[in-house]
Amino acid sequence: MIAVKNLNKHFKVRKHHKGRFAALRNLVTQDVNVVKAVDDLSFEVSKGELVGYLGPNGAGKSTTLKMLTGLLVPSSGHIDVNGFLPWKDRQRYVNRIGAVFGQRSTLWWDLPVVESLELLQHIYKIPKDVFTTNFSEFKNLLDLESFLDTPVRSLSLGQRMRADICAALMHNPDILFLDEPTIGLDVVAKERIREFIAHINKERGTTIVLTTHDLADVQKLCQRVMIIDHGQLLFDGQLDNLQQRFGGKRQLLVDFAEHYTDVNIEGTELLKLDGKQVSYAFSKDVLSASELIGRLSAKFSISDLTVQEPDIEETIRNIYEHKLLEN
Amino acid sequence: MRLFFELSKLHFRQQMAYRTSTFSNLSVNFFFGLMRIAVLLALYGERESVEGLDLVGVVTYLALSQSLITFITIFGSGDLMRAVYSGEIATQLLKPMHYFNYAMAEDMGRSMFNLIFRGVLLFAIYDLFFKVTYPANALVWLCFFASIWLAWLISFAYRFLVNTSSFWTPNAKGMLRFFFTLSWLLSGFLMPLRLFPDWLQRIAAFTPFPYVLDTPVEIYMGLRSPNEMLESLLLQAFWVVALILLAQLFLKRGTRRLVILGG
Amino acid sequence: MHQATLYFRLVLVQLQSQLQYRASFVFEILSTAFIVFVEFLAVAVVFERFEHIKGWTLGEVALLWAMVEISFGLMDMLFQGFDPPVFAEKIRLGTFDQLLLRPVNITLQVLASELELRRIGKIILGIAIFFLALNLTDIEWTWIKVALIPCMILSMTMFFAALFMFGSTITFWTVQSIDLLKILTYGGSYLMTYPMHIYQNWMRRIFTFIIPAIFLNYYPALYILDKPDPFNFPSFAPFIGIALAAMMLLLAYRFWIFGIRHYQSTGS
Repeated sequence: MIAVKNLNKHFKVRKHHKGRFAALRNLVTQDVNVVKAVDDLSFEVSKGELVGYLGPNGAGKSTTLKMLTGLLVPSSGHIDVNGFLPWKDRQRYVNRIGAVFGQRSTLWWDLPVVESLELLQHIYKIPKDVFTTNFSEFKNLLDLESFLDTPVRSLSLGQRMRADICAALMHNPDILFLDEPTIGLDVVAKERIREFIAHINKERGTTIVLTTHDLADVQKLCQRVMIIDHGQLLFDGQLDNLQQRFGGKRQLLVDFAEHYTDVNIEGTELLKLDGKQVSYAFSKDVLSASELIGRLSAKFSISDLTVQEPDIEETIRNIYEHKLLEN
Repeated sequence: MRLFFELSKLHFRQQMAYRTSTFSNLSVNFFFGLMRIAVLLALYGERESVEGLDLVGVVTYLALSQSLITFITIFGSGDLMRAVYSGEIATQLLKPMHYFNYAMAEDMGRSMFNLIFRGVLLFAIYDLFFKVTYPANALVWLCFFASIWLAWLISFAYRFLVNTSSFWTPNAKGMLRFFFTLSWLLSGFLMPLRLFPDWLQRIAAFTPFPYVLDTPVEIYMGLRSPNEMLESLLLQAFWVVALILLAQLFLKRGTRRLVILGG
Repeated sequence: MHQATLYFRLVLVQLQSQLQYRASFVFEILSTAFIVFVEFLAVAVVFERFEHIKGWTLGEVALLWAMVEISFGLMDMLFQGFDPPVFAEKIRLGTFDQLLLRPVNITLQVLASELELRRIGKIILGIAIFFLALNLTDIEWTWIKVALIPCMILSMTMFFAALFMFGSTITFWTVQSIDLLKILTYGGSYLMTYPMHIYQNWMRRIFTFIIPAIFLNYYPALYILDKPDPFNFPSFAPFIGIALAAMMLLLAYRFWIFGIRHYQSTGS
């Protein structure tokens, strides 16, 4: 579905001189800095995948997305989406995709939501039966009924987001691009959007590329995760793989049956000692969970224990900071 | 008082950030001035003087008018209207300074900038290309300076006053448009007032508009005797007082209405 | 054609939003008409005293005025999407990207995205001034002269549209709209409301050979009013306005397409 090979996007930024005669030098010389927003990016996305695209601000996420949606022409490299060169055949290409950008609405400001959708029906030439089916299904799943007649300008952020996603799917696109779809929403709204996205992917096989800052989005929706920073792909694989390879320390919380004075175990870090509750941090490279549990039960009497995976944020931070690359 | 001047200075400095647009503004203004002068000179034809305005006088009148229009914000302003419609007026009213004074300080800063960088500069450019006159003596200069300050006050007050309509109607923009358009006609901006038929000049005299442009320009050009200049200044002062009182009254009534209706 | 119907649908959306506020809508039209009324009034009352401007009477000047007001009003109403400051905001806010994501011709979308209905006030007053001109002058109408009227309006509409389109395309590079362009758009319209022979030679030459404004209003008016040509131009001068304006619009359109490509290459 999506094939990207050695994709590059360079921007020329005028170098601003500082110091004496700065204004004059700026005028005369044409020193440019080349900013590599996307640097030798290669990946493939198969039909029906739900991929998360993560990266810190300025990493190149929006630039990549813009190239995938045809808004930006690459500097070099190969890009193929659904058999199209996105920027080249704009009108025909855009007919087959859906895009939702978190900050801006795709709908008409003064129009009631339902009228915006009807207008889209004409724009995308959606057959009447398809439109009606989609409309009733999305209306229910996204609970749009209460504000169908409200103009978009009067909607709350959560409502607008639901309306935008509905609008993006009415014409049965093959791919859906979502740029920060849950940004600024409350917990309940986020859940609803996530459920909907998962449903669409599962029931209709729509390929979905999702960029987000919210790691919970990734955890709950994506099996596959791509991490980009400084224009380069740092990781591309399954989420559990990510945790396993780059995760931080795991935690073991133990409820001992009795009070013990010395609960230290070699190879672990004692995080907390609270009466009979103890938590240990341990690294999987040094000690496996089963080994640790074994050693504990040999020495102590245990009433309950839990293993906690490392915080995904910590994992991602590790990747950003150490720039660990997937081989 | 001190706060007032500090605010003015602040807004003056803020305007300095727009220096680069000054070149295009001056160019557009100058171009319009050229055309207006061409039209009037063509109308004069063979005539040397009409209603006391000779050829050099016409050019001076137009050049000075064009130079003063940004100072008196002839095209109007909608700051208060925008503040009311956006709801921002609520936060403004909470400030420790009386909103009217705050708005005046802001306007003064802006107008001072316009006087120097759009006014004086522009007139100097007109002087380069055309023959223009200068006041004959110190008394005229003095009266002229007094007059332009009074003109600015009148302009600020009536702009503020007309903006208060936004407290009562959602159509304030249209009202402003009517009002400011009228000011172009009756201030001498579109055509020197002297050239209008008597009936129109008499109508204009009942409005504050001639006092923001025609009055200072004619004083500058020495078209008024010392007695007439004094009379003009007094009339200007009358309008200043009347309009400021009205503006403050409407502001009070308007904010009360806002508070009652809940913003 | 599908794209054309989409244009009308999108325009309808604009109409709907603006008509929502019916009372203020009428008021807006009236206030816009008032502006034209006042500007023309200033000229008309001064004419009382001077009787003519370099050989042209009020009625004859009114013809020039009417043509410009109708054309500019028409253009400003339909081409509001290309009004440089309005378009610049689309680039700044990223709204233009939204347009690129729809399977509709981008030029049509920009055109349909704004419709400043209140400009009808300008057109209405322009028509009123036209009738005043008919009243005050003794034009000997021929079929060619009658055909020339819509040609004049069309040529000036295209002329101003070309300037607007050009100004908007520049914002792809400069982000802020260029104020200097106002000399050509608003300045140009003011210029054309008077007979060209009143202007200084250098100014007139610029608006003859560089910007062909003289052929859009003045020359056709000379022909309609049966006035002699003070510059002795070839006899086809009154008729080439529409071709010149069309050429300008075509050039502006080419530049616009080039601008879009540049935008896609460099982003915002």
